[in-house]
Amino acid sequence: MNLIRYGERFFDELEIAIYKKKNVGVDVELNQVALSTSSQRTVSVIRGVKDKRIGIYIVDSDDEGEIKRGIEIAAKNAKNNERDERWTGLPGEQKYANVDIELDYGVKSLEPDFFVNLANDAMKEINQRDRNAMVAGGASGAQWSENRIMNSHGVDIMQEFGGTFFYLFVVGRKGDIVTPGMVEFEVRRDSNITKDFVVNSILEKLKYAYNVKSADRMEGDILLEPLALAELLYFTLLPAVNGERKVKGTTPLEKRVGEKIFSEKITIYDDPWHPLSISPIIADDEGVAARKNMLFENGVFKGFLWNTYWGNISGEGSTGNGIRSLSTGGIGIGAHNLVVEKGRRKKEEIIGDMKDGFLISAFQGAHSSNPDTGDFSVVANPAFKIEDGEIVGSTVFMMSGNVYQLLKNVEEISSTERKMVMMGNGVYPDILFRDVKIAPVSK
Amino acid sequence: MDLDSIMDWAEKNIRAEYIEIRGEEISKLSIELKDGIFPTFTSLKLSGFGVRVLADGAWGFSSTNRVEDLKNAIENAYKMARASSLGRYEKVELADIDIVEDEVRSKMRIKPSDVDVDEKVSRMKELEKEMKKAQEVASTQIRYEDASGKKVLYTSEGTRIVWDMDYVWQYIWLTGKNERGFASARDEVGSVDKGWELFQEENVEVLSKRLLKKLRAQLNGVQPKRGEYPIVAGPIMVGIIAHEALGHLAEADLTINSPFRDLIGKQIAPEFVNMSDRVVPDGFGNNVYDDEGTRVKDVHIIKDGILTEIMLNREYAAKWGMEPNGHARAENYMVAPIIRMRNTIFERGDHTLEELFEDIKFGYYVVDFRGGQAELNSSFQVGVQEGYIIRNGEIAESIRDTSISGIAIEALKHISAVGKDFGLEMGRCGKGQTAYVSSGGPHMRFDRGIVVGGQQ
Repeated sequence: MNLIRYGERFFDELEIAIYKKKNVGVDVELNQVALSTSSQRTVSVIRGVKDKRIGIYIVDSDDEGEIKRGIEIAAKNAKNNERDERWTGLPGEQKYANVDIELDYGVKSLEPDFFVNLANDAMKEINQRDRNAMVAGGASGAQWSENRIMNSHGVDIMQEFGGTFFYLFVVGRKGDIVTPGMVEFEVRRDSNITKDFVVNSILEKLKYAYNVKSADRMEGDILLEPLALAELLYFTLLPAVNGERKVKGTTPLEKRVGEKIFSEKITIYDDPWHPLSISPIIADDEGVAARKNMLFENGVFKGFLWNTYWGNISGEGSTGNGIRSLSTGGIGIGAHNLVVEKGRRKKEEIIGDMKDGFLISAFQGAHSSNPDTGDFSVVANPAFKIEDGEIVGSTVFMMSGNVYQLLKNVEEISSTERKMVMMGNGVYPDILFRDVKIAPVSK
Repeated sequence: MDLDSIMDWAEKNIRAEYIEIRGEEISKLSIELKDGIFPTFTSLKLSGFGVRVLADGAWGFSSTNRVEDLKNAIENAYKMARASSLGRYEKVELADIDIVEDEVRSKMRIKPSDVDVDEKVSRMKELEKEMKKAQEVASTQIRYEDASGKKVLYTSEGTRIVWDMDYVWQYIWLTGKNERGFASARDEVGSVDKGWELFQEENVEVLSKRLLKKLRAQLNGVQPKRGEYPIVAGPIMVGIIAHEALGHLAEADLTINSPFRDLIGKQIAPEFVNMSDRVVPDGFGNNVYDDEGTRVKDVHIIKDGILTEIMLNREYAAKWGMEPNGHARAENYMVAPIIRMRNTIFERGDHTLEELFEDIKFGYYVVDFRGGQAELNSSFQVGVQEGYIIRNGEIAESIRDTSISGIAIEALKHISAVGKDFGLEMGRCGKGQTAYVSSGGPHMRFDRGIVVGGQQ
């Protein structure tokens, strides 16, 4: 039976989203496999509007009877809700980009043994090459998702996503020294995942981490690696380009479209189809056609990201950036694949030219930053000291500032870039900043 | 569904050392009020089974939300365990526990499911109205959630536990604006033991006053001087230091890779410092049993300054030769239980508030936090959403957008006084899975060991 038609008995407008997810994978802990897992989950979200009142129901099922029952409960919720006079409607039929998205269906049939062997080989190699290293944690696995969005205005889009991942978290202990945890990961949209990048990258950093150095100053040159950059931008800058905040006047970028905000070296956009994108979608969670959206071009602010609701209120329309929360069923605004445009020289060349400074792999506490102002006060950990173009040891220090000031002060951007899946999907290079305020934590 | 017969079937059909089935059927109501509009008004039904099997000395896990697939899930979990065994050099052993058959009933006086939706909506609107009376409030976001339902645990050892699964939770984010710019404040309350009655204590006036105090401290605050200064931490900050900086290191799966590993039984803080993870009145992490069926026990992490006990599940209890203490928790049926905190607190001392502040020529009084994170090398960071300068023993102007950091095992040594008072904060902890937790303690003074971040 057509569930949308059934729902139209209760609602003026109706959307049904069905998310099916299948996972297989292994967790590792203390140099061995801790657990192998296989799971599948189907979640249906019914979002209906009656008389400008919204009601939502979420159920762990795609059974027709459950969805019909859900439609009726969502209708009761709509009745209990209040009229939203600004409601303008769910999106209508869309023209989707004709993008060639390759899928590796082999991902669906990967067995846990594959990931057990991958993890085993990686742990063995780490322990052989560094006898002080302990693989404290990690995981490897495959995920397959099928998402279908339908609404009463003719949207009906099904998208499939698949991929594999591998990450390790390794700690070194030598005498009294316990190094910070070194995290490295690899993510692919196919089943050709290997251990090599993760293992080599971790061992390279661990080598320096045993030599603890004090960050004995209050200011310094800082090279942010992709993960550290992603953490900072996710919590300080991404909220500011959310269109809802523009309408409410709670972003520092409210009236600044067309203004130069950052160094002209900075170009940032949301591009679901970037070659390194890990989740190349053609439609967002409302079924609106996804597209590339320029946010900052040569430092100039170009515009906000919108979903249908706030895009219609502002008059700018949706940019295809509706993101659904599976906790509330509501549609927020977010980036699909945030890209910071790369520069010209390799990271190694930039480090080679640094006389005295710091390399930051990740931050502690980026989530405690202020999304309303862009202010941050975080701990650089793992971080490394650079002297005369060489990494000489690890250190821990606090770094405080404001993202708008920091991105004005860009010295150089690397040509090496990495895909990120933590802090949302994205593609990030390394960025060198001059004279950043810091406070030592390690002795 | 007859889980006894399913368990009988499983024991006959798979050659496992241990089988565990956790089932949940939970209904939730989630309402969000953002600046006068309810953009989400949502009912949720979460139901399914998580199966964990120990076979060949290794763990396998499988979950399904289709009842008819439960036997398949058991077979899958067994297959996963066999796969895991290829990646282990030591067999998983489980420490013994008392096998119980029990029913854990909710202590709530007013179950949220018995409260009319209109009343929940009205309270949120009143709260928003009250906060928006303040002219500096630019935007408000209130999220309310309640849950009611059942959870069951059946194991091949004979454990049969049925829990009432009820909670209430509320999260508020307030954005303010004045001539100096934007600032924000957050607040979170929740309970598993109190139902709707929680909001009689945490009423509109109390919440509004607390949020506005934090917001105004930020809006009117000055940038702190970065560096190491004497710190007086209030109960909420003391709690988050207990949780982030020390609690995580005392989770046995993390202890093993942290500096705590070699410090058990040693003096790590002055003898007047005591820290525990235990059942406390109104604790958000309270329970009678954990998700392995172990009775929850108090864990005295630091006793008279000595690192004494750590938090364990059955596997790590066997590994460490200790007794399980009820800290295996799973966010829901979709994931296997891992070692988690519950209510992590510093115990009361005997100093008055005046004694804590006296003699501090210049320092900081940190009251409330916005996020925190710890590392295995005991480095911690906690964002400060309400803090003040201490000048000549007196609380002076507020500070804005900063955080504190330190190396926990160093900072502990510099605790110079512990207050007589006590406070508790409710929140969520993320360690791959989300768990409801509390943290708290009395006011405490750190003479050194904590660095304040700041743009000055």
